[in-house]
Amino acid sequence: MDDLSVLDRINALLDADDESTVNTSMRLPVALRDAAALAVDQLQVAASTTNLTATALRAALETAVMEAALEAHYAQHPGARPTLAEVAQALAAQDGSPLADQRQLLDQAAAELLARHPEADADDVLLWAEAQQAAVRHTA
Amino acid sequence: MRTVLLDNEAVKALADANHPKHRTVVAHLQGVTSRRRKGTPSRAVVATAVRVEAGWDRSEPGSAAINRYRVEDAALDAASANVAAALVSRTGVSVADAHIGAVIRSLVGDEVVVLTSDPDDMVRVSTPRPITAVRI
Repeated sequence: MDDLSVLDRINALLDADDESTVNTSMRLPVALRDAAALAVDQLQVAASTTNLTATALRAALETAVMEAALEAHYAQHPGARPTLAEVAQALAAQDGSPLADQRQLLDQAAAELLARHPEADADDVLLWAEAQQAAVRHTA
Repeated sequence: MRTVLLDNEAVKALADANHPKHRTVVAHLQGVTSRRRKGTPSRAVVATAVRVEAGWDRSEPGSAAINRYRVEDAALDAASANVAAALVSRTGVSVADAHIGAVIRSLVGDEVVVLTSDPDDMVRVSTPRPITAVRI
């Protein structure tokens, strides 16, 4: 099965209207299981540890599929890959942040940040740009 | 939960790698994924009437790529059809935009962002519900 077929199969399974359950042979660390049980009982983070586990697993799988689908798209269309500054600008717009209108600042922040922290993400760029603005205001 | 809704233009831009706004919409989707990776609940959603308008048939082989991004469907059920019909009658917007308005009203408690070519229409169909309309 090639990578795209794997993604399509995972998507189909995630979208399946299947309420049946299965006892798995998945082995969890005992401390993690106990922590989950305590969080469900005392913090009401979910209806059950099964529900907590399934929800977290689904979210992780969905995110992984979305990332893999985008990477597959970029492999086929390299020009479609947004720069880090472009993703930061998109997030700023979604956040309703005035940084969305300051593309030059975001480009500069992304360039400076990537030179020091190659693993930086879009939120790091927004934080860096905001900090620079604050520093400029402070020294003015 | 942040819900990022796509309008007709956003869907068309996402579906076509040669669309002039493709990279912009992809950047938004990448942002959704980035936030999810950091544990912030975030998702992309499309109203099914928007899919109709944009010609996005999930069963078509040509939709395989866009189907992989996990953009969730918000179906036009009986309740949302009533809300959408009232919006069409009151504002004169398209059926697809009215369905977006109905979806927005159904997302109680969500922070709603709409990627759109016409922010004014999106504000019109969502009022009085506050949204962030992002022009693409």
